[in-house]
Amino acid sequence: MQRQLELELIRKCKAGQSRFYEPLVRAYEPAGIRLAIAMMGNAEDAKDALQLAFIKTYDTLPRFDLRRPFGPWFFQILRNQCRDMLRSRKAKFTTEALDEHLENRPEDAERGPERIQQRNEARKLLWRGLEKIGTEHREILVLKELEGFRYVEIAQILEIPEGTVASRLYHARSALKKALVDMNAEYP
Amino acid sequence: MDTQRPERPKPVTTEDLMRYLDGEVTPEERTQVEAGLTGSTELQRELAMYQSMKSDIQDLHFGPGSAQGSVWDQVNARLNRPIGWVLVITGLVIWMTYGTYVFATSSVSPWEKLGTGAIAIGVLMLLASVIWERLRELETDPYRNVQR
Repeated sequence: MQRQLELELIRKCKAGQSRFYEPLVRAYEPAGIRLAIAMMGNAEDAKDALQLAFIKTYDTLPRFDLRRPFGPWFFQILRNQCRDMLRSRKAKFTTEALDEHLENRPEDAERGPERIQQRNEARKLLWRGLEKIGTEHREILVLKELEGFRYVEIAQILEIPEGTVASRLYHARSALKKALVDMNAEYP
Repeated sequence: MDTQRPERPKPVTTEDLMRYLDGEVTPEERTQVEAGLTGSTELQRELAMYQSMKSDIQDLHFGPGSAQGSVWDQVNARLNRPIGWVLVITGLVIWMTYGTYVFATSSVSPWEKLGTGAIAIGVLMLLASVIWERLRELETDPYRNVQR
């Protein structure tokens, strides 16, 4: 979404015109659901977290500084919502429903069923690894690798100094590597 | 005699390696990391491992599955609900005040007024206790804003 259009929509929402919130919800929903599924591990909880995050975002819009980008601010609220839900229900990240979310890439299909099976096995292994490493490590990997945020944006979302993002990523990647090695998966 | 030795490249830290891997280095830092990589097969192996992991995670490429469908309807309903409540409560207060006034000033016998008034007050008290109980439960309900 164009920055100027986004700003205009936010201004109208701040003025209490909630119908202008719809384009913002629809624009940030796809990335939001991906992040929420990756953090919560299942679609049901992810959708609940996303819904609550959008409501909280709207409720706090009057305090939103228009000079800041909206995306990282929204993802910060969503991330906190996921963490709150995981904490309050004492629920664990669960990969029960992940199979249905793992999509085959078109290039895999071209290489035949054996290739698809291999890739699926590798993906499931990775998910199990992500399940093992804990929320702190998982969220930063998801923000970087699945959502493609820059370090400055990750720092904003996670509310940490930009200088510590690289170190947090190193620890997360090392933890994932260890989890995969523990599951007998090897990396070069 | 020239005592100057060729400058040794600054050691590459794990943070430098991560920034290099994620394309977050300046051109100078890039040159420095690449110089470090040239001189260390261990560092090259480590970088290759993280590159492979990075591309595998990015390859997960998952879709929304059963989470398909927008949450906008639920969000919109929640955003507009307070306006609806204000209107309903305002209307109820107006009607109840008017009804009470009409009933109190009518020619109905005092016993009938007393009986009807007792029933109305009792119903209101029961309703208020149920609402109060529900409000107290809401404080600890993590899904209070979730609609399905």
